[in-house]
Amino acid sequence: MRTSYRLLLASGALAVASLFAANRAHAEDKVVKIGILHSLSGTMAISETSLRDVLLYAFDEINAKGGVMGYKIEPVIVDGASNWPLFAEKAKQLLEQDKVAVTFGCWTSVSRKSVLPVFEKDNGLLFYPVQYEGEELSKNIFYTAEAVNQQATPAVDYLLQQGKKKFYLIGTDYVYPQTTNLILYKYLLLKGVPVENIGGGLRMDGGKVVSAGKYVPFSHTDFQQIVADIKQFAASGDACVINTINGDSNVPFFKEIVAAGLTPADCPVVSFSLAEDELRSMPTKDLVGELGCWTYFMSIKSPENKAFLASWKDWLGTESYPGVVKEKRAVDSPMVLSYDGVYLWKAAVEKAGSFDVDKVRAALEAGVDFTGPGGKVTMQPNHHVTKTVYIGETRANGQFKILKEFPDVYGEPFQLKALDEKLAALGK
Amino acid sequence: MPNLNDTQIIRRGLLGRIPARLELIGVIAAALVVIVVLPSLNAFAPEGSAFHVSDFTINLYGKYLCYAVLAISVDLLWGYTGLLSLGQCLFFSIGGYALGMYLMLMIGKLGQYHSDLPDFMVFLGYPKLPAHWVPFHSFWFAAAAVIWVPGAVALIFGYLAFRSRIRGVYFSILTQALTYAASLMFFRNDFTFGGNNGLTDFKFIVGHDVRQPATQRGLYICTGLLLLGTYALCKWLTQSKFGKLQRAVRDSENRVLFSGYATANFKLFVFVVSAIIAALAGALYVPQVGIINPSEMTPDKSLEAVVWVAVGGRGTLIGPIIGAVFVNALKSWATRAYPDLWLIILGAMFIVVVLFLPGGIVSIPRRVMARWRRPEQPLPPLPTPPVEASADPAKTSPASSAS
Amino acid sequence: MALLAGLGGLAHLSAAEGNDATARRLLAQAVVSTGPAQQKLLAQLGDSGSPAVRDLLAAWTRDEILIYEAPDGSHVPVVLEEQQDAAGKARAVRIDNSQYLADAQHHELRFASGDLNAGDSDMRLRGAIQQALDSLTLADPDPDARRSAAVKLGNSQKKQYIPILQARRGREPDAAVRKAIDESLALLQLGDADAAVQVAAITRLAELQALGSVDALRRAVAASPDPRVKEAGRRAVQSIEQHISTVNFFGTIFRGISLGSILLVVALGLAITFGLMGIINMAHGEMIAVGAYTSYVVQNVFGSGFGFHITLPFSFGGQLLAFGFTLPGLNATGWWYESYFLFALPLSFLMAALAGLAVERSVIQFLYRRPLESLLATWGVSLVMQQLFRMVFGANNVQVNSPSWLLGHFSLDDVSFGYNRVFVIAFAIVIVLGTWLLLTKTPLGLLIRAVMQNRDMASCMGVRTQRVNMMTFAFGSGLAGLAGAFLSQIGNVGPSLGQNYIIDSFMVVVVGGVGSIVGTVCSAFGIGAADQVLQQVLGSPVMGKIIVLATIILFLQWKPGGLFSTRSRSLD
Repeated sequence: MRTSYRLLLASGALAVASLFAANRAHAEDKVVKIGILHSLSGTMAISETSLRDVLLYAFDEINAKGGVMGYKIEPVIVDGASNWPLFAEKAKQLLEQDKVAVTFGCWTSVSRKSVLPVFEKDNGLLFYPVQYEGEELSKNIFYTAEAVNQQATPAVDYLLQQGKKKFYLIGTDYVYPQTTNLILYKYLLLKGVPVENIGGGLRMDGGKVVSAGKYVPFSHTDFQQIVADIKQFAASGDACVINTINGDSNVPFFKEIVAAGLTPADCPVVSFSLAEDELRSMPTKDLVGELGCWTYFMSIKSPENKAFLASWKDWLGTESYPGVVKEKRAVDSPMVLSYDGVYLWKAAVEKAGSFDVDKVRAALEAGVDFTGPGGKVTMQPNHHVTKTVYIGETRANGQFKILKEFPDVYGEPFQLKALDEKLAALGK
Repeated sequence: MPNLNDTQIIRRGLLGRIPARLELIGVIAAALVVIVVLPSLNAFAPEGSAFHVSDFTINLYGKYLCYAVLAISVDLLWGYTGLLSLGQCLFFSIGGYALGMYLMLMIGKLGQYHSDLPDFMVFLGYPKLPAHWVPFHSFWFAAAAVIWVPGAVALIFGYLAFRSRIRGVYFSILTQALTYAASLMFFRNDFTFGGNNGLTDFKFIVGHDVRQPATQRGLYICTGLLLLGTYALCKWLTQSKFGKLQRAVRDSENRVLFSGYATANFKLFVFVVSAIIAALAGALYVPQVGIINPSEMTPDKSLEAVVWVAVGGRGTLIGPIIGAVFVNALKSWATRAYPDLWLIILGAMFIVVVLFLPGGIVSIPRRVMARWRRPEQPLPPLPTPPVEASADPAKTSPASSAS
Repeated sequence: MALLAGLGGLAHLSAAEGNDATARRLLAQAVVSTGPAQQKLLAQLGDSGSPAVRDLLAAWTRDEILIYEAPDGSHVPVVLEEQQDAAGKARAVRIDNSQYLADAQHHELRFASGDLNAGDSDMRLRGAIQQALDSLTLADPDPDARRSAAVKLGNSQKKQYIPILQARRGREPDAAVRKAIDESLALLQLGDADAAVQVAAITRLAELQALGSVDALRRAVAASPDPRVKEAGRRAVQSIEQHISTVNFFGTIFRGISLGSILLVVALGLAITFGLMGIINMAHGEMIAVGAYTSYVVQNVFGSGFGFHITLPFSFGGQLLAFGFTLPGLNATGWWYESYFLFALPLSFLMAALAGLAVERSVIQFLYRRPLESLLATWGVSLVMQQLFRMVFGANNVQVNSPSWLLGHFSLDDVSFGYNRVFVIAFAIVIVLGTWLLLTKTPLGLLIRAVMQNRDMASCMGVRTQRVNMMTFAFGSGLAGLAGAFLSQIGNVGPSLGQNYIIDSFMVVVVGGVGSIVGTVCSAFGIGAADQVLQQVLGSPVMGKIIVLATIILFLQWKPGGLFSTRSRSLD
């Protein structure tokens, strides 16, 4: 009996090992290695896996058209496993062992912060595609992401235009929501919104406001109290909610909003972390009319976007990479910004005529552009990207209906100081 | 409550048969390779030669060695004293944060904002450095804090827990709650430790550029020495009368208590020592990986450390080292080759070890030998429940003879 | 859904009514026109009082009015019937004359939902539609709808609504609606130029304890130079704020009970597996997830079906290994679809119980006397299960729609009670009672208690302990599955769902006292209430949670056995 257990185990182990041994073979002669550094397991896999997929798609598309300067792209995929020190280890591996020409990766700010010193030390090149709080500028990172003034402030402009007078700020307790809400708090003051009309609470330190809004822990599930608070806040009309809640917690938050009878007509919620991909897991039927703000929506009607979506669908039908989900896929802004990043890098390489990091950086800083699915994107000298900002509202099918465009918004990572100065000038 | 005794399982994992001299020689040889040979090859062998050890490898091994020290601290508690702490990474992280604060202040004006304050304080609008940060300008203060802060936390928590006779699974669950509460605390931006982003982008440590290969090599050697020191300390502790007492507490605390020993104080002492060891590992870990953030103290990180010990072989000192290095090397490989399978591999490894290999990896040679020598005899039985071992004096006595 | 079913009937019934017919023509014009003309048409519609048009206006805000482009280039607004044919297509009902849309040969045209574009609507237009709707809704048969319409008109600060509201006030039979109308009238009169009218309005608002009027009152006080207005306003604000704190007090109590119920539902299964059996089941959270995913699958089976497809994450000779099967869908609609949740509940219990059975047989049966190791092994199980969820259902959260009878809420004196919250409280009572009855009043319960008290003794008495262990563990896991089915209605369903609840569950069981169901009940409500009160007092959910955890740790120093510790002479 026991022997057979052991035999079973051993043969099982052998079988698994033999499966591992059968690996994808690459046999191109002129190749350039590109790193993909995302979490494919752990809590962040929800969001980051689709970025890996779109990068693989972009590489296949480029390879099919002859590669970059005749070099075929060979992706080196590593898993950060939602573990920040592991991100740093993997970044070192990509730069020091695989010697990749460029890396596309990271979603959370902390993963970016974790790899930043590695990229600076080894003089690597990282493209970062996800909306973030700004207040950072590394010579080795290019941020195709939305800066705060390419997402949050345009959304507030739009709401003010629509006659909203009261703003409730709520987010998950970490750096992106805290910074964004602090910027918005100052921005709203600047726009003449009185302090008592900014809901969620303020925290002062030494006479200065250091935190604005209501904060919940990661994976928070109980929003009864907060929604009751919002309901009282919104009872007097013309209110809206600015939502920087991250990830999973959005589902219970919105279910509570619906249960409490807060409709978008009374009090719309504008969310900065909910794109088409996340909406797939939300009860969208009950959320028609809530707002989102990104630099790409799947519903954009440009020929570039239509061609992109069609070709992406074809690719999903034919590709054979392990772990790529083929059905019910949505495309959203972080994916498109990853995709745009690949083409911006390609344009820069071709302009520089070299894969050398310093030369490519110079070419990028000098300004290259690419007309992608979300419209034209242009790299700026400050490593951010000029692009079009769209305000949309959700529809029952999980798509956004575009309400307004702000064309060619210049990405500006440092907001707080400028706002402070403007407020000081107004004597507030 | 059910009996928590796991003497028999642990006994099977002991390397009792290997002569002490052989073990000593092995340890010295391994230490020479790790502390002298590898760094020399990294420093002196020319790049491209077959003997060259890359900076990346040194850095990676440095990380593994930190994990190995952490694993020993878990084993000292669990394998030797029977206290399964699921919050050991809290102490590891506190040690890391203490040194991290010093490293943050050493960045000086080289940060994003060219301010004396750490970057996150600048953009979160702190008017000045909070008072509890100020002394961390001194390396020695930080180094002392690495020891006394986690020591104090362990002392207070341990005092409360052991005084009210919390033991077994309750102790495990409470330590888990403690580290969970602490991680929630550290995730808050208001807590002045950088929130979710933690402490990162370090530049200098005692005047050396932390990003230079030479500095990293130095840190690696320090970690190797720490591991050796920890090993020697624990070897000495566990082989002395102290160790006998430890195992006695593990196997039947009540009898020790009735023999006139203050077991609560004794456990408290072990708990504090192991917390300090974990904290030292954390302090060396942070400059090598370049970041410390609260996710290091979430409950699953501590559980992972327990996996290393279980896989390597608890109740031994070699086991945790082997386990930590093996599991993490496997992780480095699997998260690259088969990212989707990593969690299944880790989980399955755990189940298999608990069910089929309670002695861990270090017990494999002995099992194989036992089988090879006496094929007619059945292997040690599968882990069917040892019957209430503490209740029966006759059953526990061989445990002491095994050590 | 129900609305569209009604529309099909409307096609035949309402054609006779002249008022409706005119209104429908106006609406059809409004859909295809733009700008001021559209606004004017909407205003007219608001005055029409036609109930048929109200439903259609509501459909418009949901993008359910579609535009058919006729061959002659004209645009015909239509709605699709709910009844679909085999090809998934439905007949279209014209808005203007409520006839079926037909081509020149009088053949009825059929469309799938994606064939036609929706009539354009944006936020501003929807605002206008909403206003028209509000006027219409003031005449709604449902008092709730009338009330919320009245509130909206009051917040609009537009005096033109005063006559509409006053007219309705005279005819309104429902007291709550009358109160809302009074409130709205007072709010609108607050903007009056005459100070006497203002004071009267302020007094009225204070009498009515109008929550939403605090801002308006403050504004009026600040804007008015008249000392009478200022004084009355100040008093009114004070009195209403008093009322708000009362509302918050009772609201917090209710929310505490509701959170306590959730904790109880989540922890009850663990109270069985950990409390009674002594198994530290770290995979408890994953059992909850099994229940939640079962609800998701049941929902899809009631819809268009569900396909299980697993692709192994490695290739074999260049070939990906994939296998799967598909559950056919029932394509249910309406109330039948919404009843999926009632079927999901028992199935969630069953699936989680089966999963529990599998775990018990494969892992736990070897570990009954080694609780610490059961902790480690079940943690391994939990990791494996999480990854399996990812492989079967994808890394993303999945979408679970709540049936309409779990959405919404009712209010008693401004304290709002969500239906889902009331449901969970009832649900918790039912399953606790059920568990208690099972354990104390059935032969199985007797056996369970016997085995848990003394496994060896029970075995000697001829109880098949292996079997009882199996059943007990499966039952505990099944309860976790039930919890999961409920959690799918209030939160997200994803691979890491269980992780969010595991620590809370352990805390509830440990604080309650291991082995005591009564203790678990008390500690769940205690922790729930403490959490909500701290949130209310501190204004910070994070600090609330940390303080609750710290308190638990300290509490256990004081009472290491929990609230209801089982007394025993044993030392361990």
